[in-house]
Amino acid sequence: MRPVRAVLGALLVLAGCDEAAPVTADAGAVDAGLAPLVDQPFVAPAPVLRRLTRAQYTNTVRDVLGDDVVVPRGLEPDVERHDLVAIGASEASVSRNGVEQYQSAAYDLAQQVFRTPARRARWVTCAPAAVRDDRCAETVLSSLGERLWRRPLDEAERARLVGVAGQAAAALNDFDRGLEYGLAALLQAPDMIFRVEVGDSDRLGPYALASKLSYFLWNGPPDPALLGAAAEGRLGTPEGLSAEVTRMLAAPAARRGVRAFVSDWLHLQRLDAVSRDATAFPAYGADLPGAAREETLRLFERLAFEDVDFRDFLTTRRSFLNRRLASIYRVAFPVPVSMATPETFAEVTFDESAPRRGLLGHASMMLMHAHPTSSSPTLRGRFIREDLLCSPMPMPPVNVNTAIPEPSPNLRTLRQRLAAHSTVDSCASCHRLMDPLGLSLESLDAIGRARLTDNGAPLDTRGDLDGRPFSDLRGLAEALRDAPLLPRCVVFKLYRYAHGREDGDGEFGEIVRLERQFLLSGYRFQTLVTALVTGDAFSRIGLTREGATP
Amino acid sequence: MSLRLSRRTLLRGMLGGAAVSVGLPPLECLMNQNGTAYAGGQAFPKRFGVWFFGNGVLPDFWLPREVGPDYTLSPLLMPLATHKPKLTLVSGTRVATINTGPHLSGPAGLFSGDAIQNNALAHATVDQRIAEVVGAETRFRSIETGIQPSSNSYSYSAPGQVNPPETSPFALYQRLFGEGFRAPGESTAPDPRLALRRSVLDAVGAQSQRLRGRLGSGDRQRLDQHLEGVRAIERQLQRLQENPPNLAACRRPEMPASDYPEQGGRLPVLERSRVMSDLMAMAMACDQTRVFFHMYSQPVNNVLFPNASAGHHQLTHDEPGAQPEVQAILRLIMADFGYFLSALDRVEEGDATLLDHALILCTTDCSYGRTHSLDEYPMLFAGSLGGAFRQGTHLRAMGENASKVMLTVLQLLGVRANEYGVGPGRVTDGLGGLVA
Repeated sequence: MRPVRAVLGALLVLAGCDEAAPVTADAGAVDAGLAPLVDQPFVAPAPVLRRLTRAQYTNTVRDVLGDDVVVPRGLEPDVERHDLVAIGASEASVSRNGVEQYQSAAYDLAQQVFRTPARRARWVTCAPAAVRDDRCAETVLSSLGERLWRRPLDEAERARLVGVAGQAAAALNDFDRGLEYGLAALLQAPDMIFRVEVGDSDRLGPYALASKLSYFLWNGPPDPALLGAAAEGRLGTPEGLSAEVTRMLAAPAARRGVRAFVSDWLHLQRLDAVSRDATAFPAYGADLPGAAREETLRLFERLAFEDVDFRDFLTTRRSFLNRRLASIYRVAFPVPVSMATPETFAEVTFDESAPRRGLLGHASMMLMHAHPTSSSPTLRGRFIREDLLCSPMPMPPVNVNTAIPEPSPNLRTLRQRLAAHSTVDSCASCHRLMDPLGLSLESLDAIGRARLTDNGAPLDTRGDLDGRPFSDLRGLAEALRDAPLLPRCVVFKLYRYAHGREDGDGEFGEIVRLERQFLLSGYRFQTLVTALVTGDAFSRIGLTREGATP
Repeated sequence: MSLRLSRRTLLRGMLGGAAVSVGLPPLECLMNQNGTAYAGGQAFPKRFGVWFFGNGVLPDFWLPREVGPDYTLSPLLMPLATHKPKLTLVSGTRVATINTGPHLSGPAGLFSGDAIQNNALAHATVDQRIAEVVGAETRFRSIETGIQPSSNSYSYSAPGQVNPPETSPFALYQRLFGEGFRAPGESTAPDPRLALRRSVLDAVGAQSQRLRGRLGSGDRQRLDQHLEGVRAIERQLQRLQENPPNLAACRRPEMPASDYPEQGGRLPVLERSRVMSDLMAMAMACDQTRVFFHMYSQPVNNVLFPNASAGHHQLTHDEPGAQPEVQAILRLIMADFGYFLSALDRVEEGDATLLDHALILCTTDCSYGRTHSLDEYPMLFAGSLGGAFRQGTHLRAMGENASKVMLTVLQLLGVRANEYGVGPGRVTDGLGGLVA
């Protein structure tokens, strides 16, 4: 992960953890007022070819072919690079097994479309005059193609697909079977699987821009209205673009889009791999990680669309729980048991005295940043530094003994054991940045239950965040809320997520502008999103690596 | 799992599943007098595979005290006692590329010959280079598998391009032995739909060409990878129109369960490993593939092995002393490796076995898990490539560059290579002692 810049042109290089301090010093300037705008020419990096993530492939297929189609589960897995799946998607290709999986899915989906009368009727709007009717096939396949490839098809492309369908229709003596092969070709084409961010000059073309907008705001494909705006050139004017963005943010799919960002930012996909020892945690069940993920997604989504201060995500006493989570958190579940299914999430507000606040109290975070049989202050502290404050921690040095002492009468709690361990300088310089933060979260165990003791000894949850002391999780949450690096971090994450790559040196001015807008709005997430997509940088593309415009 | 729309159902629908049995001559007739090759003089195919597990070893309990053919198995290798004559332990080598990423730099240096870039491998790995030569004729050029659900692997087909492992036994079965597979003696009637599928792939290929010209070189390479996958399917369709390979031991294996879920927070490692081992052995017995990369467990994995008090990775760092729990996990891993070797060794090929015609490299992500050291890199081979690779010995190669071992492996498998690796990983000579 590339760290956020502390000051213009000076990358924060974490060769060791001792150099981490300047971040907070510089961030103080932001705290005092506004970051200075940077007068620096914007230089757009080269465009990227982005593979659809699994979620984007699924959303594309469902939005276009019908939200009741069954999307096959075996699909090429996402790749995370530089801490984001969105960036991995710009670096990964498709493996041979992945190509086979896309093929299987394509034929499966094609059958679902043309062998279900209601779905067929939506696309086959002409009556075929014969088993092979190229004109009718062209009508069907070009409208499907425009939606799946997110742009109109050119003549050669239409002819090619019509040829495939016609050959199949003739061989199988069935017009619809022919269309199945045509649709299978559409679904397997790189134009479906990849998003091609190209243009004619230093700007994305209108259709590429429409896709970039919709996959960012909706995590799905452009709808006909957005394609219409692209066709009419409306995305090229500030008013036209602004109108589309307003419309898109009001659409239900915008919630899906916000969730996709939070999921990627906080790596919520990793909850799929979480497991806990049933002996150590009898209350754990395989349903817990999914419920915990939903809590985190719902809270962020709700705060974003209520248009409140984004930083409430850290400190709010509100949350969204199902019955399972309510029992883990030991709070009353407001829905009668007879009316609640595992999918029933209800809003609750924790008491003032409750041990949890915002994200840090979520079972999702406690489940992800832990070991299968115990919590891990180091992993929790690393999560705060890296994911919330964008301060990457270096890899542990090699050839050092990494063991922590076993519990003993003198070293009962993890805090005591870690302290005994942190006497090696090369380890301590980083661990002192992570462990104290994680130790203040020891009041929650590795599945998110509150506790007062560790191994029979009372917990000491005091700590400090870069000089600001606090006494427990609630104090840490407040300290993080006030940390200038928190909003800056989310600006960087969102920018990288939107563009599918790390930010280049020539983009720093734009990022400072966004951070400023964010601050001026009182940290309204929607304002940040709007500023990002309506900014000049969103549609700019640079030279490809060979130096030629694409 | 929805069976209604499974790949199997789909393919049955699309291809008609028109498998019919026709009488073929007894299989022995296809071999020569000595049983060392087919009657046509064609040798049994060479196979290569990597069997990888995460989190390193305990060198004190891994290394045998003696060197040479008469060594005594170390405590961690004891579960492999029955296979000892077919094993070669190589010790003393070091991965010489820079060690910056714990659990990552070692495999990167070993399999790609270079340091990591952007936390990924910077070159195609040895298995894929071997597959280019050895796997060209089979239905699958290579397969990538695993036990622990994960999308991570150390098999790369190009810089940064990982080949995710198939970790579901059911999905692996469907891919290898579902519709599209024919056991020896089964022949498929010509199916017009195969030609239609090829015309679809032609159209997909044409779209790739159209797109290609608009991309920078890096993205063009990624698109070409995709196109390579499309061509691989074309070759598979071609195979479907030929008679299946006629191998005596090949039979369609039993269909695995649709899932092998965790029990009490523990992955049923043994059960999953055995099912996968049987499928992989039969994939090679049926000559569906000749190359595999198996991620038995992931680097940094915290799998709760049977009876372990904590996750594997956590134990390697936190368990004090001689780490008896880690030792028990490693013995269990070696027992699972032994099960896999037995599965290969049961497949008779002429007067030898599939294992004899194969070379399997069992290795991990570092030497001593607690310190992530890359000295004394653990490398355990099984099989002899039909007598070409020395076996039944402990070869001590103190201080040698591990790349030398990989260069010898590449050369024995027919890859034209005079050197291997980059920078400190680069070597121009193999390790002579490995050649029989």
